[in-house]
Amino acid sequence: MLRDDTDKYLPLTESTCYIMLTLVEPLHGYAVMKKVEEISKGTVKVGPGTLYGAFTLLEKEGMIVKVKEENRRKSYVLTPKGKKALVNQIKRLEIMTQNGLSVMDML
Amino acid sequence: MAENTIRKIKWFWPWRDEQEEAWLRSMSQKGWHLSSVGLPCIYRFRAGEQMDYVYRLDYQTFPKKDKQEYQQLFRDAGWEYIGEISACQYFRKEVKEAEPLEIFTDVGSKIAKYKRILAFLWFFWIVLIVVFPVRGISMDNPYPWWGAIQVFNLLIWLFFTYAIIRLSLRIRQLRKL
Repeated sequence: MLRDDTDKYLPLTESTCYIMLTLVEPLHGYAVMKKVEEISKGTVKVGPGTLYGAFTLLEKEGMIVKVKEENRRKSYVLTPKGKKALVNQIKRLEIMTQNGLSVMDML
Repeated sequence: MAENTIRKIKWFWPWRDEQEEAWLRSMSQKGWHLSSVGLPCIYRFRAGEQMDYVYRLDYQTFPKKDKQEYQQLFRDAGWEYIGEISACQYFRKEVKEAEPLEIFTDVGSKIAKYKRILAFLWFFWIVLIVVFPVRGISMDNPYPWWGAIQVFNLLIWLFFTYAIIRLSLRIRQLRKL
């Protein structure tokens, strides 16, 4: 398992993980909400209170950065630190998924 | 004041926010819609058609510029901004099928909201201790009102202590979910 300075943020919550996944490209808040719902096939919906809190926290921790602001809408994108945290999270989830699939026929 | 508005002074404990939201919804169902909020805890309601509005409360402090961005995000998600009372932000939305009715969609962010309120309560609690320490309540002092002030300080301090304990318990309860 990779150990680095992003370990303390793991595991990310499901919402945070999805929010970060959408920010591989610059997006503003509402676009993030729509995209999360779409790529999660409707399993995850992020409310504006949750999203605002996540943006504030992720920006403070240097995982995302503001790239644009127009019509009172800020767009954010992942930073290298954010990408690293997300990669580590994905690896964790992959291990869990493999574990799950290996016992699937016993469930 | 016009006949079609009423003013209510209403106060609620921060861990009873969901009950407050439910009460505001029931007012709208009766045709009284929250039109503005103001300090110290004044609600203005305007009469209208009976509507099913849900109300949601957030707790946020920020500079003015961030506030516009914050309100825009909620507006984009279909929420109407009503106003704020000391950092408590009021939003509402009409209940429709397939419309998400929550502003917090996970337990973590709900807890984070209570923690922001808790930080504010702790701040006041500490200020009270530093600025107005309760120096023992006795009646043999130079001024007759001294004892009264001390009792008053003690009561306010107890009030904050109680709020901190109850809010911490609410957070713990949510963590178990």
